[in-house]
Amino acid sequence: MPLKNKIEELKKRKEEVLQGGGEQAVAKQVAMGKLTARERIIALLDEDSFNEYDMFVEHDARDFGMDGKVLHGDGVIIGTGTIYGAPVAIYAQDFTVAGGSLGSMHARKITKIMDYALRMRIPLIGINDSGGARIQEGVNSLAGYGEIFWRNTLSSGIIPQISVILGPCAGGAVYSPALTDFVFAVNKISKMFITGPEVIKSVLGEEISQEDLGGARVHAQITGNAHFYAESEYECFEQIKKLITYIPWNNTRKARKFEPKEPKVSYNIEDIVPGDPKEPYDVRNVIRAIADDSDFLEIQEKWAANIVIGFGRLNGETVGFVANQPLVMAGVLDVDSSDKAARFVRYCDAFNIPLVTLVDLPGYLPGIDQEHAGVIRHGAKLLYAYSEATVPKMTVILRKAYGGGYIAMSSRHLRADFVFAWPSAEIAVMGPEGAANIIFRKEISEAPDPEAMRRQKVEEYKEKFANPYVAAAKGYIDTVIEPSETRRLLLHALEVSSTKVADRPFKKHGIPPF
Amino acid sequence: MSYSKLDDKNVTAFIPGTIIDVKVKPGQEVKEGDILVILDAMKMHNRIIAPSTGRVKEVNVKPGDRVSKGSVLVSIE
Repeated sequence: MPLKNKIEELKKRKEEVLQGGGEQAVAKQVAMGKLTARERIIALLDEDSFNEYDMFVEHDARDFGMDGKVLHGDGVIIGTGTIYGAPVAIYAQDFTVAGGSLGSMHARKITKIMDYALRMRIPLIGINDSGGARIQEGVNSLAGYGEIFWRNTLSSGIIPQISVILGPCAGGAVYSPALTDFVFAVNKISKMFITGPEVIKSVLGEEISQEDLGGARVHAQITGNAHFYAESEYECFEQIKKLITYIPWNNTRKARKFEPKEPKVSYNIEDIVPGDPKEPYDVRNVIRAIADDSDFLEIQEKWAANIVIGFGRLNGETVGFVANQPLVMAGVLDVDSSDKAARFVRYCDAFNIPLVTLVDLPGYLPGIDQEHAGVIRHGAKLLYAYSEATVPKMTVILRKAYGGGYIAMSSRHLRADFVFAWPSAEIAVMGPEGAANIIFRKEISEAPDPEAMRRQKVEEYKEKFANPYVAAAKGYIDTVIEPSETRRLLLHALEVSSTKVADRPFKKHGIPPF
Repeated sequence: MSYSKLDDKNVTAFIPGTIIDVKVKPGQEVKEGDILVILDAMKMHNRIIAPSTGRVKEVNVKPGDRVSKGSVLVSIE
């Protein structure tokens, strides 16, 4: 046979696989408002950059009448490509082929591309759209999931791992996204739960829809399982592309450096933060007043919004921002906000991203539900994460920094490299009201007018301690700065800490309060 | 055991505190993000905002009221 004919045959075979699950199944996918697996990859990656592998893989199931069945690509597409020139490894489950169900060869394709990503030290992106385990393949499906989870864990902290939930992701399958760094969800398309509505109904008698149980909004607002929420698949892909520009390819590199840009003049830092410490403001505007081009990629925007996390750039270099949000629940730390910030700090530390922490919080949220929800061990995660982090750590205290909250928010004592405070900073063991009531209890109760005495003592305490100068006198903060100097000093801090050495004693790993 | 659905109609106090200002009246149209009431708690004049766009159905508080955690301050329909 001439080579030409063999090439023709290859083309025919490829053509066949490109049909996916066939016309009907594709029409169904479209009717659900979803793109096909291949369309997704093409929309996400740079034009013509995708190269597919294992296209001709076939399943090896023999039981339950599976031996005669043809499942193109065994329901998953794997390959490599680029996003804004950055190499990525990718897999996308194809719901049109046997519901994207995971059999042993399907799993082997996924683990192959995972191994490749780890070996080449490039980011891994997984697009999940699957009905779950392929029941006909029994325990082989479970083995497949286990192999994926093991690799997720092995790769954690070495290469960025991104999960995109574009369809059902139920049962054991949910643990792969949960083990990865960033989970993307799309409204009305993403569905994630361990046990679905039918099981919940039969076991517990409770009724709930898939959307209310584990839809995109639920994971973006209630559970915190999703880091990014989008209204459409295309919006989701834009978010992923933007994220890729902020993070390095692996843990031995720095994120790509961009052309430095000044913040937009519309963000005037002195106009953002009110002088009255009781007046709230949106701390994201402070970040925008500091960051290059006022650009800020917020993560987990809707969950635990009392703390703000995300990426920005200073002098072209990626930094991770962590900031109390006075606009939401007075910016308190609680179970969820501690979890959220702690994990982000660990992410930045693993991937050589310097941390900028903006402090303005009244402390930890009091309450029986918080105490009983374990705020002690959750709050401790944040202390652990900051203490453990060896990347450059810069802290700016804007206003309130009281008690345990002061210590937790990247204080000098947890080895912040630079601690700056605005003249509006109040750094003390507790707020003036509480402190005056305790210290001057006797004077207040014995005064002819206890209320007037109380007010007088509160004022005295405020004047003496609700400022940055007591902490500055001890060297706990490095300098008191004018708000307008913040960006310049952070840029300088970043510059002088680029060769930072922070040796720690050897250990296999620590035991953070998970 | 019940679960709490995402509620964008009933606005509750996240912590006990004192109402210092009420910005809306029943029947008034509000947009998502509009300020409904100001709650003094946790050393902050917290802006309690509308979680969704709609019409104010009930206002259960007035300035000076002490509110407990979880109490419904304003409902929207």
